[in-house]
Amino acid sequence: MADILQILILGLALGGVYALMGAGLSLVFGVMRIVNLAHPSLIMMGAYVAFWGFRLYGIDPIVMLPVAMVILAATGVLLYKLVFEREAKSAKYSEMTVLLTFAFAMVFEGALATAFTNTQRVTTPDYAVDAIFIGNVFIPLGQLYAGIVSLVLIGALALYLKYSRFGYAIRATTQNREAAELLGVNVNFVGLVSFAIGLALAGAAGALVSFVFSFFPSKHWEWIAILMSLVVLGGMGSILGTVVAAYILSVVAAFVGFFFGATLSTLTFFVALFVVLLVRPQGLFGEKPELA
Amino acid sequence: MTIHKLLAGSAVGAMMATGAMAEIVIGASLPLTGAFSISGAKHDQGYQLCVDLINERGGINGEPVRLITSDNRSDPATAINQYERFINVDQVDAVFGTFSSRLTFPVANILARNGYVHPAPAGGALRIYTQGHQNLFYFQPNAAEYIGSSVTDMIQELIAEEDRPTTAAVVVADDFFANAVEAGLLGLQVIDPADGSVVEDMAPGYLAEAGIEVVYTEKWPEEGFNDWLNLANSVKRSGAELIIALTASAEEAVQVTRALQTVRAEPKMVYYSQGTQAEFLEGTNDASEAILVHTSWHAAAPYEGVLGGQPFSNADFVELYQERYGDFPDEDAAIPFAVCQGIEQAIIGAGSTDNAAMGEWLYARTNEDPVRTILGRFAWDERGLPVDKPFLMAQWNGGELQFVFPTDEFETSPLNHPKDGF
Repeated sequence: MADILQILILGLALGGVYALMGAGLSLVFGVMRIVNLAHPSLIMMGAYVAFWGFRLYGIDPIVMLPVAMVILAATGVLLYKLVFEREAKSAKYSEMTVLLTFAFAMVFEGALATAFTNTQRVTTPDYAVDAIFIGNVFIPLGQLYAGIVSLVLIGALALYLKYSRFGYAIRATTQNREAAELLGVNVNFVGLVSFAIGLALAGAAGALVSFVFSFFPSKHWEWIAILMSLVVLGGMGSILGTVVAAYILSVVAAFVGFFFGATLSTLTFFVALFVVLLVRPQGLFGEKPELA
Repeated sequence: MTIHKLLAGSAVGAMMATGAMAEIVIGASLPLTGAFSISGAKHDQGYQLCVDLINERGGINGEPVRLITSDNRSDPATAINQYERFINVDQVDAVFGTFSSRLTFPVANILARNGYVHPAPAGGALRIYTQGHQNLFYFQPNAAEYIGSSVTDMIQELIAEEDRPTTAAVVVADDFFANAVEAGLLGLQVIDPADGSVVEDMAPGYLAEAGIEVVYTEKWPEEGFNDWLNLANSVKRSGAELIIALTASAEEAVQVTRALQTVRAEPKMVYYSQGTQAEFLEGTNDASEAILVHTSWHAAAPYEGVLGGQPFSNADFVELYQERYGDFPDEDAAIPFAVCQGIEQAIIGAGSTDNAAMGEWLYARTNEDPVRTILGRFAWDERGLPVDKPFLMAQWNGGELQFVFPTDEFETSPLNHPKDGF
């Protein structure tokens, strides 16, 4: 029983981190239909902000989190105005953004490697390798803190989307961009703000990832497939779905890893991706695609 | 434009072409980005430093050396393409090998087919050396399958019988190199992927020979694995006294260590296949204490090599590397430096960049008349594996990587045993 409880805890702990990593990706797709393959490289940027804050000034990565969010949000505004705004009305916008963001991922990786070298980094606050032990069961503090912060941020975003006036506009744009525009929503501005929020979430996730995993510029390639699995299972564009998927897949992967081996543990994410696309392409919380 | 100007331009062009032919061009495809980028970037530094120092000393046989480096993104197909380009487009005079067994294995076929000497700084898996290549020279002590003997020899020679670990947990990255080390430790068969034949049967394995029972094994996929805590918890629950983590990169070694620290594992001894790098210490801090790592190079090893036709010691390398890059070197920079020394000596020995002659000269080396590098002497057997060259066992103590075994080569530090938790 202790084994089962332990695996459940470890799965949930990892799920909390994945949830925030996937939330920004989901938001940006939901509002803008941008499949942002550069999202993990932006998470990496947030991780470097937290790392250098800790290394140079001893600032805890969780304290550096708002700084990472602001820097990434500003990057988002810049990127949106320079690149993504132009073709937003194009019928092929989503397809274009796949290639565009893939290119950006490579550019960001190169820029990070140039600025910070390819050396692996990890932020090392004491709690990152500490745990609370209750009998034979332990709760890793680093992942616990990361999971709590992640849920607070996602909860705040959910409340903002649900109860603020601008949140209505974002949700309306997510549901039907043309209808929202007809009703007077400035969809371009909504897109800009949503993109900035999405990247701010990447920055926050980066700050948390910086003490949970070690990282280096090209590490993002390992994350994109996992994050896409979460977003697809949750339903493209559904933040709630992404969070639920993150917890489900992390827990399932933890059990698979324990009972069937670590190799199959990682495979869980990709099997889920295939199964969802075959059986329920809209994911758990996504809308069923309209037939042309 | 007058005819005179045309003639003058042609003359300058001809002179430039002549000048270009009077240099020795060497190509190296390295994983500067991607999974192996940490080691790849250091290999680049090692190669570049060596080439620059050769040029400062007047080049090879009076000709300057130009190094062409390409980033293969840790991708085997790209590495193959880049070496083919070096050979067919750039028409390089020689090549330096790439990093990691995963890339070296396919590249070996290309270089063999084109008759180029293949000095490999990495790529220790035995099956690379059983393909019948006559042009392959490995610049580390031995094939990865044999590394385990250094670990068990050290245990048996340095630790009293009652203090030796009796059980082991072996966790392995599903990687060419890590799998090779695992095969030796666990006594597995080394299979040739081309025809399924058995290259070597490592049974019963070094651990079994040393009387150490393997109580837990696990393998994780080389990419995308993040569930380190689950893995570490299983290792801890196995109660193994010796934890062996065969990682493919220093980054994985950091992840394993932090996870073992979090779950508060308390083994007697820990051995990693990677972790000599400064980045490992930075990522693990005090948890690195008493962790053992095998290495091909150590800063304190009093090796005397040759560079630019002049004596060049390991200490010279350490000093000049620090002067150039501001960091303390590790084996990922030292090994490629030794490769470069080997190629320089081969060109001088052959009297030209004729790769066939270079290969013959390298094969003719003996322990009495070896290639002399900052990694010590090199002479190779018919497979391209060094002869009579032991791996060095090093241990992190007090933030310093100390050389602990074998004890009959140089001055060693005492083995810190048993390990006091993480």
